[in-house]
Amino acid sequence: MEQMAEHTVRAYAEELRRLREMVARMGGLAERQVADATTALVRRDAELATEVMSRDAAIDALEAEIEAFCIRLLALRQPVGQDLRLIVAAMKIIHDIERIGDYARNAAKRAIVLAQQPALGSLNGFQRMARLVQENLKGAMDALVNDDANRADEVWAADEPVDEVYNGIFREMLTFMMEDPRNITAATHLLFVAKNLERIGDHATNIAETVHYAVSGETLAEERPKADSSAFAVARPPS
Amino acid sequence: MSATTMQPLGPVKDQAVAAALGRRRKATDRLVRLLSFAATGIGLIFLASILVTLFFKGFGAMNPSVFTEVTKPPGSEGGLLNAIVGSLIQVALATAIGTPIGMLVGTFLAEYAKGSSFGNVVRFVSDILLSAPSILIGLFVYQLLVLPFGGFSGWAGVAALTIIIIPIVVRTTEDMLTLIPNTLREAVIGLGSPKWKMIVTICWRSAISGIITGILLGIARIAGETAPLLFTSLGNNAWTTDLTGPMPSLPITIYSYAGSPFQDWIELAWAGALLITLAVLLLNILARSVLGRSK
Amino acid sequence: MTPPSDAETTSGTTQNASFGGMQARSAVALNETARVTVRNLDFYYGANKALKGINFLLPEKQVTGMIGPSGCGKSTLLRVLNRMYSLYPGQRAEGEVLMDGENIIADGVDMNALRAKIGMVFQKPTPFPMSIYDNIAFGIRLHEKLNKAQMDERIEWALSRAAIWGEVKDRLNSSAMGLSGGQQQRLCIARTIAVRPEVILFDEPTSALDPISTLKIEELIDELKRDFTIAIVTHNMQQAARCADQVAFFYLGELIEVAPAGQLFTAPKHPKTQEYITGRFG
Repeated sequence: MEQMAEHTVRAYAEELRRLREMVARMGGLAERQVADATTALVRRDAELATEVMSRDAAIDALEAEIEAFCIRLLALRQPVGQDLRLIVAAMKIIHDIERIGDYARNAAKRAIVLAQQPALGSLNGFQRMARLVQENLKGAMDALVNDDANRADEVWAADEPVDEVYNGIFREMLTFMMEDPRNITAATHLLFVAKNLERIGDHATNIAETVHYAVSGETLAEERPKADSSAFAVARPPS
Repeated sequence: MSATTMQPLGPVKDQAVAAALGRRRKATDRLVRLLSFAATGIGLIFLASILVTLFFKGFGAMNPSVFTEVTKPPGSEGGLLNAIVGSLIQVALATAIGTPIGMLVGTFLAEYAKGSSFGNVVRFVSDILLSAPSILIGLFVYQLLVLPFGGFSGWAGVAALTIIIIPIVVRTTEDMLTLIPNTLREAVIGLGSPKWKMIVTICWRSAISGIITGILLGIARIAGETAPLLFTSLGNNAWTTDLTGPMPSLPITIYSYAGSPFQDWIELAWAGALLITLAVLLLNILARSVLGRSK
Repeated sequence: MTPPSDAETTSGTTQNASFGGMQARSAVALNETARVTVRNLDFYYGANKALKGINFLLPEKQVTGMIGPSGCGKSTLLRVLNRMYSLYPGQRAEGEVLMDGENIIADGVDMNALRAKIGMVFQKPTPFPMSIYDNIAFGIRLHEKLNKAQMDERIEWALSRAAIWGEVKDRLNSSAMGLSGGQQQRLCIARTIAVRPEVILFDEPTSALDPISTLKIEELIDELKRDFTIAIVTHNMQQAARCADQVAFFYLGELIEVAPAGQLFTAPKHPKTQEYITGRFG
């Protein structure tokens, strides 16, 4: 990684460092929300799920704080070049993280309902999917903190497996529902949880895209590799 | 970094040393101030005594016939009319000839010969001329114009005064032009102006008040010159405006009358001295007001 | 305006090797409309080389901003373009500066005619010690013979274009020295455009002005680019960002990077440019 020279105005350099640090902290909070929501789901732990839901407010508060900080930097420092890109990227990234927080919260909410429903299948797919999106989220945040465009590119290209797992869960849930209508409540909730995790993965790739621009100054123009085929799926009841 | 921030801010001060230093500085200050005032006082006393004597005796001798009568033998009611007119003619002609020459040379030095070795030589010679004893200039013109053309003349006097005023105008013109910021010159050139046009329309216009001041001071200087006229226009006790013959002038008349044994001539010399002093004073005030108006 | 052969020969051959691909692209894109083309320009103050192999274009009817630290050569380049350096012995330029197919730094160029085509506005306002009217008329009289009515019309035009007509129209015969600094600078701009140049060079035109006067000048520059090709040297990067269509960054006598302003200030290609614009200069 090429190292930039120190900023002539030390207070400004300090503010930029603080901005990265705050965004990284917010990303860390969201990562933990995703992990805990999934754990609550798998372990049928309503208490943990409630805790996840209550913690979402902290992420929202941090978003507001970072946004205000960015606006202040724009007004007072009139940033250009990489500094401008970092600040604009931060404003976009915190929005993505905030959405990730919302999806985690929603997944936790459904975990509470699911804890009272009969268990449905192994939920291994959910664990795997949660692990994948967490990795991507972490990778995107690392790329931001280390100014590492290559790391961002890796994350950007790594959403495909998430979509594949999601497709698997989608078919599995359809099957459960077709087998026994009593499964419909749990399966529907699980479908939404899967969709939430899939959306979280999309936001992680958005972040990676933003980081790529912030670091390199170039936008990733090409279409991202996608494997979500569930939109074309058709349920055929057994005849 | 941290090492410096550990130190208390500001100089470390030992009160006793500081007080002793302070006492010594105050004593030195008083001494220097005393000497300066004393020197200024002595100078002012001499100046005042000269001026008081001059005004006292000059005004005492002043009467209308000074301006209406020409110089006459002792005992008869004489005046200074021919000397005043002679001075005016010679000074006016010397200024009229010397000013354009001086301005052109000054312009050459400031605008064309900046930093060139020829320019430096011209500047050096001009400065020498500026401080040369005026009697040398009189002798020079005597050799050049009086001896070969068989006699003292008003023209020779004009030539001597011209030689004295030229370096003064050169100096002030060059100084005033050098004061003009280069950006103004570049602004004119940047519009596509040829250099001569820039000098004539912008540079001279910007420097004109300074140059006029220099000319006025030059006139004041030559109006009071005696030595160069001794060998050139000599002086004349009759009314004349003929520049080819000897010509009277105030300084020469003062010179010859003041040294005479006749009381009425001596009084006329005082009157002439007062006239010249007043004229020079007036020119100086005028020069200051011209310079002041441009600021 | 530009002969086609000129554009043809310029393409591809003018770029410094150190530019990298991006600059080559943008320069070629601007090529068709180049009003002034600088090729392999070296400049010397005596033995001191102040510009090194500059290749550069002023696109027609666009504003080119020139930035860089003090002594980087940006002002020097400006003074090459209107031959101002020729006033000073010991300063010399080598290479080509092409305008209308003519190398304007060659010997024997009519510099007065050149300066009528390439006008300049200076750092400090430089009103001439004469009336406002005569200030504007001065430059016109150097190059044209106009009758009184034509002259009045031209002076009103120039003062209006410089956005100062309303402020001075009632006192055209009073001294220009009585105007405020910002007004004096706009007067100088009016004086420059009164000669109807094709290119106007601005050498830090607002560094002696207050912020509001500065904004007025910037607004004026934006307005003037409809009719004139403009180059502006500035120490104020925000100013370059606000005014310029393309921005050139100079460092130690070299042209480091030239790019559209939007690109140079968001994603500069060269690390030196990046360091300079973000304030990370050693």
